[in-house]
Amino acid sequence: MKIESFLKDVGGASRVTAARREKFRKGSPIPEPEDPIRALSDALHPDKIRFIVTDVRDVSPTSKTWRLRSTDGHIPIFQSGQYVCFHLQIGNSVLNRPYSISSAPFESKCDNPFIEVTIRRNRPYFVPDYFFDHVKVGEVLWGSMPFGTFYYEPLRDSKNVVAIAGGSGITPFVSMAREIAAGWLDVNLTIIYGSVHSSDIVCGRELDEIDRKCDKVKVVHVMSDDPDWQGEKGFVNREIIEKYSGEDTTYMFCGPYAMYTFVEKTMKEMGVPAGKFRKDAIAQPDVSLIPGYPSDKKDEVYTIKVMRGIHEDIIQAAASEPVAVAVERAGIALDTHCRGGECGMCRSQLLEGEIFVSPIGDGRRRMDKELGWFHACSAYPMSDLVIKIPIL
Amino acid sequence: MKFYKEHYDVIIMGAGLAGLSAALQLQARGITDILILEKHNLPGGLATSYVRNGIEIEATLHEMMSIGSKEDRLKVGTFFDEMGIDIDWLKVPEAYRFIEKTKKIDITLHSGFETMSNEIDAQYPGWGDKVYDFMNLCNRVYNSMNILSVTPMSKPEMLKKHPDFVKTVGYSAKQVMETYKFPQDIVDILTPYWIYVGNPMSSLPFTIYAFLMADYFRGGSYVCRNFSHEMSMKLQAKVEENGAQIEFRQEVEKILVRNKKVYGVRTKRGDEIFSDYVISAAYPNKVYTQMIEPLSEVPAGAIKMVNARKLSVCPVSVMMVLDGTPEELGIRDYNVFSGDTMDTDKIWENYHTLGPYGYLTSICLNLANPDCTPEGYTQFSITALPLVDPFLDVKETEYHALKRRLASEMIANYEETTGVNIHDHIVEIEVETPVTVAHYVGAWKGSIYGYSHSLDDHAVARLQMKEEDHFIEGLEFAGAHGISGNGMGPAVTNGRAAAKGVLDSRKEQKEDYRLVSGYMKLADMLNRRKGADK
Repeated sequence: MKIESFLKDVGGASRVTAARREKFRKGSPIPEPEDPIRALSDALHPDKIRFIVTDVRDVSPTSKTWRLRSTDGHIPIFQSGQYVCFHLQIGNSVLNRPYSISSAPFESKCDNPFIEVTIRRNRPYFVPDYFFDHVKVGEVLWGSMPFGTFYYEPLRDSKNVVAIAGGSGITPFVSMAREIAAGWLDVNLTIIYGSVHSSDIVCGRELDEIDRKCDKVKVVHVMSDDPDWQGEKGFVNREIIEKYSGEDTTYMFCGPYAMYTFVEKTMKEMGVPAGKFRKDAIAQPDVSLIPGYPSDKKDEVYTIKVMRGIHEDIIQAAASEPVAVAVERAGIALDTHCRGGECGMCRSQLLEGEIFVSPIGDGRRRMDKELGWFHACSAYPMSDLVIKIPIL
Repeated sequence: MKFYKEHYDVIIMGAGLAGLSAALQLQARGITDILILEKHNLPGGLATSYVRNGIEIEATLHEMMSIGSKEDRLKVGTFFDEMGIDIDWLKVPEAYRFIEKTKKIDITLHSGFETMSNEIDAQYPGWGDKVYDFMNLCNRVYNSMNILSVTPMSKPEMLKKHPDFVKTVGYSAKQVMETYKFPQDIVDILTPYWIYVGNPMSSLPFTIYAFLMADYFRGGSYVCRNFSHEMSMKLQAKVEENGAQIEFRQEVEKILVRNKKVYGVRTKRGDEIFSDYVISAAYPNKVYTQMIEPLSEVPAGAIKMVNARKLSVCPVSVMMVLDGTPEELGIRDYNVFSGDTMDTDKIWENYHTLGPYGYLTSICLNLANPDCTPEGYTQFSITALPLVDPFLDVKETEYHALKRRLASEMIANYEETTGVNIHDHIVEIEVETPVTVAHYVGAWKGSIYGYSHSLDDHAVARLQMKEEDHFIEGLEFAGAHGISGNGMGPAVTNGRAAAKGVLDSRKEQKEDYRLVSGYMKLADMLNRRKGADK
């Protein structure tokens, strides 16, 4: 087969080159530096936001809600369940902490936009202490947002959502309830909310008020240690979950690790398909609760050589704490986000030594596992280490 | 605190496939003092993956071309072999299934010129031989292109050795295909890949179309067992082993230029690092309009060039993990191209809108890589490749709703075409748009495919104009915007070409230096002789 008609034409290369040259000659000489797509992506994910605290209020005897506005007046759009990450300096430590946003997305889109975070301090705790003792009205906080994949996704989730929350794990659902009550989200939400005692329910009053006003939101309190409580008592179990579940339900869970293991088991027993059970990133619990953690090592202290570019720091690290905590304590910035091993923001390179990686929320890529990359928020030193982290 | 050395022989902006390949090529030629700065916190650029609830998800349209089997290695496969990079390649089972809904065309083609022409012959008896001839023409053009892109040749020699290449270079894919007088159905069946080098067939250079067809149908395409991240990580590991310094989370903000010559970069965090050579993965549009410092060093010709060129398509990709095996879900095909029409001018028009998109490509990764999910799940994606133009006006408040609308339209379209139920089985879902690309890799206007291949921006013309497209000494470009264009295979080739630019320039400088030092020695000698004469 011959390509007959082109046989005699041998000038193609010169012709296309002349055409290109001519096209460039006609190009506009005025620079066009605008990139609206990058601008949109930067608006959706700004690098750092300068927040200012405009209000602090009690939402239970042990918890407070901080209202924050951004100094430039812009708050990126988020979805109920996503979190803000605060960049803090407490003493010599440089650290990041994630908090689910407890206000509704619509409140960050209207005039005078704001977000709120709700933090509980029922025992002394490093970062909550800092918020309770130091973060007052007028204080500046640096943060970035939105992060996380724990939100209602209409492409996947059922219109009927049963949320299961324990303690301060209620915050993503407070956001969701507010969004539904204001008519911005079309979901039927039942919140099964486990607390210890009715005298200390995080955001209890606000949730009960939404429950009264909005027939799409129902709140079921379950008290674990309150003999006089008139409603559901004990721990959130299969019986209670089934009692408040209708047909075709998506379950969403946010709470402590111990409660998660129980709820996850219950979901399996109930035959809930994988796609219908969503969980928020779970903070790593104490090492005594992490399956497989070599407990004989928990009192060891090791040395980590931390490389950033050609710079090296030598720091101390306890085997009972994630590598990220040791790095933060040494005043070295490390961008952690979820702190549950999942998001991979604190992805770091292990050059020498042994680590234990928590199986809870292990979000490492396969090749990362093979080539020694790990997520510092959920990896524990098991020997002296040499690691490399990004220069921030 | 010092994180960097004062000076590096070469600074590479971007640890994508192009940047990493550039580094490998330089290292192979003895240049090891290299710094690579990457915006994201992992290598690979678009050749990457992410994890949702413990399941790793391929982030890209990831069929790798130019690898070839162990027996018939193609260009990129050979390069990786030579560099000592051992990737666990899995061959994809079929080239594609093509469904044209209006005319009810439904055919599956596998790689191998003979195989695919037989498959066409089975449905259109008598046409197999002609398809086979056509594919061989594509293959000759492909071979010529591979040779000519690295070996300059005189015109008569070119005509003698590469006649088909020479004779077709000035024509569109449509024009060349028309000479074969195929029935329209066969033209349609041979068209689906066009969108990977997008511009409609009427303005797409045959050379590029032929390159793509020959490469995919000759060698088949490949995926990595451990996702594209495997390739990126193994390239990175080798580059580091060879002595380069790689730093993540470092976006370069400025390229420092003096007297039309590069002397360093400044990162977003403020580090100034010096080098006589910078290889940029950032698009020329961004470099010449934002990054060169001072901008007065940018020649008018560079601005005219970037304004004249047209960006190619960008992705709208719905990536999912589904509950159920492909078998249980009824998904039989690795790759399906589908649409109501195969008239690429009409598709192009549709791709200038915000949907609903008619022409889609879907990939079920499990059918090439059964271990890509835990048992009982399927990894599945649907992609449209529109132009970026309609996205330029999208507002922040509209963005999420737009993503969800496009995704649900694309899922519904696929379901209607194949009868497979997707939406009841979604476990994880993410929607990628040009905005996602801009966010993670920072590519200009969220582009993934560089500049559009057209008869007035022809790869052959790009090659011939290499010198005149070069505006600043020591500055090379490596990415989809390179001469070979887009795709993961060409990215590797573009990276190597950028390295060659650096190597050639260093050689010239060495020669200059030799020349200068030669003259100095001569002058010295003459002076001494003069002294002796006295």
